[in-house]
Amino acid sequence: MSVNTVESPEKNEVIIKVSGRFDFSCHQEFIKGYKAYPPGSKCYVVDLSQAEFMDSSAMGMLLQLREYGDKKAGVSLVNGSDNVKDILRIANFDKLFTIG
Amino acid sequence: MHAVNHGYNSAAHEQHEQVSTKQALIVDDELSNRIILKSFLKKIGYSVIQAENGAQALDLFCSEQPDMIFMDVMMPVMDGHEAVRRIRGIETTKFVPIIFLTARTDESVLSHCIEVGGDDFLTKPFSHTVLKAKVLSMERISRLHEKLGSLYAQMKKDEEMAEGVFSGAVIAGNVAMEHVRTLLQPAALFSGDVLLSAYGPSGDLNIMLGDFTGHGLAAAIGALPVSEAFRAMTHKGFSPQQILSGINRKLHGLLPTGMFFAVQFVSLSHTLDHVTVCNCGMPDVLLIDGENGEIKHRFVSNNLPLSIVSDTSYEETIQPYPVKQGDRVLLVSDGVLEARNPAKEYFGQARLDATIQNSTSPFRLIEEITDSLRNFCGDAPQDDDISLAEMPCEQIVLADWACLPPTQSKHTRHHFEEQNRPDQAIEFSIRLAGAHLRKSDPIPPIINQLQEMLGLQNQRRLLYTILTELYVNALDHGVLGLSSSLKQSPEGFTRYFSEREARLGNLDEGAIKIIINAQPTASGGSMIIEMEDSGPGFDYNSRLPGELPPDTQFSGRGIKLVSELCDSIEYEATGNRVKAAFSWTND
Repeated sequence: MSVNTVESPEKNEVIIKVSGRFDFSCHQEFIKGYKAYPPGSKCYVVDLSQAEFMDSSAMGMLLQLREYGDKKAGVSLVNGSDNVKDILRIANFDKLFTIG
Repeated sequence: MHAVNHGYNSAAHEQHEQVSTKQALIVDDELSNRIILKSFLKKIGYSVIQAENGAQALDLFCSEQPDMIFMDVMMPVMDGHEAVRRIRGIETTKFVPIIFLTARTDESVLSHCIEVGGDDFLTKPFSHTVLKAKVLSMERISRLHEKLGSLYAQMKKDEEMAEGVFSGAVIAGNVAMEHVRTLLQPAALFSGDVLLSAYGPSGDLNIMLGDFTGHGLAAAIGALPVSEAFRAMTHKGFSPQQILSGINRKLHGLLPTGMFFAVQFVSLSHTLDHVTVCNCGMPDVLLIDGENGEIKHRFVSNNLPLSIVSDTSYEETIQPYPVKQGDRVLLVSDGVLEARNPAKEYFGQARLDATIQNSTSPFRLIEEITDSLRNFCGDAPQDDDISLAEMPCEQIVLADWACLPPTQSKHTRHHFEEQNRPDQAIEFSIRLAGAHLRKSDPIPPIINQLQEMLGLQNQRRLLYTILTELYVNALDHGVLGLSSSLKQSPEGFTRYFSEREARLGNLDEGAIKIIINAQPTASGGSMIIEMEDSGPGFDYNSRLPGELPPDTQFSGRGIKLVSELCDSIEYEATGNRVKAAFSWTND
């Protein structure tokens, strides 16, 4: 499990990349990652290409991120494996996030 | 005088030390060593007991329970290492630091001191400053242990209390659990999974399997308000979608962002011909054919979990589906699909489906899934709560009042030669038009109103059934113009409900008027229920009294039920007005 945060200033975008199991063990790092920027200021993209699994507490973190980030831009969840996309589909998270 | 005085002071000093100070145990076979150490320890506030070898130390440890031990290594009878090993073998909740004091300086002896259970060591001769520092450090660790111990005890107490509340208030209210087969295997003492069941007024069985984010105490906190709302609203006759909206609203106000509640909600109709399912963020609910054991339908998740978005409507995502007696509905939490084996593979939907397909007996399905899970997971640790519930679509799981033998129900009511009490007569009417028909179910508030005014404890459910059947008929066939012949096949059944949903959504004209005239008597009362819809009606004259309407199945059954529960039922006007007479006795 690891969380990497990269900022791309020209797009006012922050990419958070989660690797390994995306669960409660990421909690501290994940929050620290997005709270490095003031609330409402950034558009967040969560890169799930290296996330092998996601549990409900990870989904909780995504909901918290959604509330923290720029509300208009929303949060994008990208590059999830089929497994991860399945979990997002079951939870109907496409109603709240842009899934790509 | 002086001597007496001194003696008095010294005795008082001794006494003071025994009452309030910490006690040290010195273990050394050399008297001179003990004397030096004793005088030092007294200076820093310890009372002292002494042993000459390990065996004596063991006895004193048990009888006196000292706060700290200073242990020599080389001694006759039993050496220091052996004594400490045995002391550490004694069960005690109190942490007693042991400092080895030894003349030996070889590293293997010193490291052995720690291995056998000592906390620190010091080589003789030692400086008092260093010894004092070590004692202070040990006292600090002691205090931490004590604090940890009391926090742990407090946590255990809280957990037990919460467990008591959970099983008392949340689980104990469940119904029909002797007929619903389950596998409930929490990952922690407290499960994030909650299984609830309750009966509606018509005897419908509502079952809800929910999964809170995470597990343990934090996850179980929401269980109490959920179970209260679920039971109260089920008892009052609210529909599954209304109950879910209610719970969602409650949780949204209560849970912090990031915590949510995924739910499978299954309602088995008392008519045993259909179930109503709502799946909010859970794995598929499975409908298993009672005859061949095949999975005949999957209810996939089409909602967000609860508590995430306020004011969610479940009207459009509710999934009604026809069932036959003997079919079974399987509720599954994600802990089942996400259970992992030592190679970190997931159990998954395919393995679950295969276990169901290969099941040898409907009575053994839960056991077979349990076995299959156990064989798959081996000794891999359980990450998440595992919950399974299998509800058979059988009379036996419904409330006992759901099947009223007509003869009996007719006998217990009737015979009213008593005086009416005109001053207590109640009349009220309600007219719902257009958008109001779309949004609200008027029956639960009407029932509550009647119950408040008339008592009606035991008739509440009967009345609920009568009013609901009449209202649904008026709305579906009268206002919406749906034909129940649609519901003959599973596809038609689904089409019926989606068509109903669509027509209801576009409804801006049409009306239903309900008029209630109730006349209480000393021992009961009677009531005339009139219900008129704006629809075209139907040719009721072509049917004999008690005969089923031509397009039978659902509406036919409903009206038959109503005519059994009522003294009389008549159609009037063009068939768009129905008048039902109902009477009751208080017992």
